[in-house]
Amino acid sequence: MFKRNSADEQHLDRAGTVILRAAAADEKKIEAASESPFLFTRVRARIAEQLRENESGGWQSLPLIAWRAIPAMALIAMLAGGLTIWTGSKNSNVANQPSVWYRLDDEALADTNDPGVEQTVLSRNNLSHEDVLDIVIERGAVENKK
Amino acid sequence: MYPATEPTDDALVAAAAAGDETSFEALFNRHRRQVARIAGRFFAQREQIEEIIQDAFTKLYFALDTYHGTHEASFKAWLAQITVNTCYDQLRRIRRRSEQTLGDFTETETKDFSAQLRAVGSDVESALISRDLALKLLTRLSAEDRLVLTLLDVEGFSVAEIAEMTNWSISKVKVRAHRARAHLRRVLRKFV
Repeated sequence: MFKRNSADEQHLDRAGTVILRAAAADEKKIEAASESPFLFTRVRARIAEQLRENESGGWQSLPLIAWRAIPAMALIAMLAGGLTIWTGSKNSNVANQPSVWYRLDDEALADTNDPGVEQTVLSRNNLSHEDVLDIVIERGAVENKK
Repeated sequence: MYPATEPTDDALVAAAAAGDETSFEALFNRHRRQVARIAGRFFAQREQIEEIIQDAFTKLYFALDTYHGTHEASFKAWLAQITVNTCYDQLRRIRRRSEQTLGDFTETETKDFSAQLRAVGSDVESALISRDLALKLLTRLSAEDRLVLTLLDVEGFSVAEIAEMTNWSISKVKVRAHRARAHLRRVLRKFV
């Protein structure tokens, strides 16, 4: 029984070797491939391409770039956070002054924050918002009388 | 051995590493047949062999600085190592692709293949197996199995030589060869 198994295995091993040989290229193909024209030119082109990739970093260097960018991004985030807190505390100081708050509300109503044509016209004619309001009310009263 | 006027491989490597492209071209022309011959043991198509030649020499170019030849055969052994590793990488890529694309043998193919296998006698040289069927069957082996069996049984390298080429330990080559052979037998039993 063991002899038979051994004979079987030997036959299978020989068949395996034959299969491996059959899968190989014949001498003609090997010769043709090694004598293929412009083969060295293609090798040079591949080397040049890889050199370019190495110089530009390639996609493999992206994690490295990201890793290096983390401290810079953290610093920027901290600066931005600091600025926000600083501005907030400044505003809370301003909030303690009622006159300023009144003025801020007034500005909000009159929309003086708008840097448009209206502001330009008002500043050129030396008119305040109260003057404009008076003019409008007067005109309204005159029209009502008519 | 090269004629006295011809520079040795080591001299050409040193010059190529220093940036002399003519020396690199001389190395290429001197050894491209050796690379093609190794590639031809694993790949049957001309384009595949050309691809291996290009890949191997590109790897060689970028590794020139790491070469420290000690005797005349050093460069050839080093180049063989690079080529075998390039073939191994390509076999793994092919295997990954073929896992998804290659189907099983058709009924006719199974019959033909069984008949061809049964006809294999003691003379391995004269046995005939269809190349297409052989390639199809070999996709069932892992890249490691195919590599070690080809180097051992087709090329006739020793275990120590294979260990040097693949950077594997001697015991790993032995274990891998044993498992590869057992796996190939299992695959073939289905046809015999």
